[in-house]
Amino acid sequence: MDAGKFLAGAGLRIATIAGQLLVVSIVIFVVLRLIPTDPLAMMIPANATRDEAESIRAAFGFNRPIYEQYLMWLGHALQGDLGNGIQAREPVTRLIKTALPLTLELAFLGLLTGVVLGALLGILTFRARGTRLERVGEAVASLAQSIPEFLWGIAFVLIFGLALSLLPFIGPMNSAYIVPRQTGFLIIDTLLAGRLDAFADHLKHMIMPVAALAMMKIAMVMRVLRSSLVEVYLDEYVNAARLRGVSETAILFRHALRNAAIPTVTLIGVQAAQTFGGTLLIEAIYSLPGLGNLMIVAIRTNDLPLIQGICLTYCAIVLLVNSLVDLSYFWLNPRLRRQ
Amino acid sequence: MSSRGQARILIGGGILAFIVCVAVLAPWLAPHNPNDQDLLQMLAPPAWSPDGDWSHPLGTDNLGRDVLSRLIYGARVAAIVGTIVPIGTCLLGSSIAIVAGYYGGYVDKTLSRIVDIWMSFPAVVLSLVLMVGLSPGLRSVILATVLVDWTRFCRITRGAILGLMKLEYISAARITGASHVSIMLRDLVPGVLPLIITLLCVEIGVAVVVESILSFVGVSVEPHIPTWGVMIADGLASVFQAPWCLVFPMLAVILTVMAANMMGDGLRIRFDARIVDRTRAPA
Repeated sequence: MDAGKFLAGAGLRIATIAGQLLVVSIVIFVVLRLIPTDPLAMMIPANATRDEAESIRAAFGFNRPIYEQYLMWLGHALQGDLGNGIQAREPVTRLIKTALPLTLELAFLGLLTGVVLGALLGILTFRARGTRLERVGEAVASLAQSIPEFLWGIAFVLIFGLALSLLPFIGPMNSAYIVPRQTGFLIIDTLLAGRLDAFADHLKHMIMPVAALAMMKIAMVMRVLRSSLVEVYLDEYVNAARLRGVSETAILFRHALRNAAIPTVTLIGVQAAQTFGGTLLIEAIYSLPGLGNLMIVAIRTNDLPLIQGICLTYCAIVLLVNSLVDLSYFWLNPRLRRQ
Repeated sequence: MSSRGQARILIGGGILAFIVCVAVLAPWLAPHNPNDQDLLQMLAPPAWSPDGDWSHPLGTDNLGRDVLSRLIYGARVAAIVGTIVPIGTCLLGSSIAIVAGYYGGYVDKTLSRIVDIWMSFPAVVLSLVLMVGLSPGLRSVILATVLVDWTRFCRITRGAILGLMKLEYISAARITGASHVSIMLRDLVPGVLPLIITLLCVEIGVAVVVESILSFVGVSVEPHIPTWGVMIADGLASVFQAPWCLVFPMLAVILTVMAANMMGDGLRIRFDARIVDRTRAPA
């Protein structure tokens, strides 16, 4: 592929994302200013005089017209400063930076599990087409898809956490383990510190949240991959390969799977936004101190700068993931590269 | 195949109709007031367990409120949200989709871009932000859910409209001088109606889930109104002592979603069959 063209395309993509984020930030800003209660009410001491209250308001810029507030916020945001949390009284960027790795890890593991298991089951049920196994798989998948992620999360707590006491379900790791924070990703930090016991414990804590996040995806990937395999097998080249004496396994893995993967990749792209939304509730259920829990605290305390910052982070991640998915089309489908 | 579709429509529709009946008849069906606290009987187990008794068939929660009564009254919010939200998302999403698909060009590009930006918000995050901006209450929940979910309707319907626009009868209608509005309402809407009805069914389940999520986070309706989501959140707090407080509302949400999906599936199979018959008939 032409490197210059690729760079130009990537540049355009980044510019589009920046533009979209700008629009998103305006939407969030305006919506949050509709808020019926006073976000600073908790901050202003009960015995403050009117002047004192006004000066606190002025310090946060809440006394100015909304477009001025937005421009002020934007000016700071462009310099990487999203302001201070009203309740948390810490820079929003620092709060987000602390919470983000766990959310990314959770979403990545959830998506990975969903895709890998979904693809395996998709191939399995495809090979078993027409048998009872396929019908059972279909019924289970449709059940798995009907139950929203947060209910899967709670169901797992009830079954594996409480009834069977198999797995831990509070926090990302046993608090007895203390691992120095380097990347922020516990899964990497525990290994960097050479603490295999902490690493294993962290993985154990992540099994249920990741599984809850993956359930719907497993079902969806399985169904979409199977039906695209069925379609691909109607194509001439599959028969041609068969006539040439290529084994069924080789047809599936060397030819059909790659073509059948495209709708699945599209599905993963569409699912990205939903996956990050799903982490929010899963974090709340499993007490994981990620972005979602931060968001819930921010909402309960009406912490506007923090809510704004977290929303923007979620949107930026989703836009980035969608771009990566678009890039992977080029890898999967050589015809697109020539255009 | 059509008989199979029939069964799904009947079972799914039957369950949904049952939930609506429960919601309407709640004051007569519920054995207790859903907010009455019986502090002497906190976390009482369901009637069939050794310590249970039939005055609270499904037990009580951490404030001694009757779980069955709260479940029955919770159906009211579910029924209202599950009825109004799908209609709202359908009207907003499909009308924008029809305008975009019909006019094409810049109109389509602009509207599609708006949908793209809208969809870059994870739905949960957007609905939470909207609920912070609006005040708590049923009306806000409905508005927030509609504002979040219309994009899915819009995207799928637009695709179908683009397909219809290539067909000859649309050009024929144009040539005979039909007005824009008439083509959209008389020629395009009937063409996508099966799709819209199927989406509408699925949306019933989505709306109920979104409401329970908002309640779970604590930004849904006023605190004195029982909903399944609030029950789940309360139940999670006392999960060690009383898992039944959690199980019944969860089952209620899952049952609703499954019924809605089943009915949607059934309708899809039914409509598909009709399309097949129609294409086969002239041959």
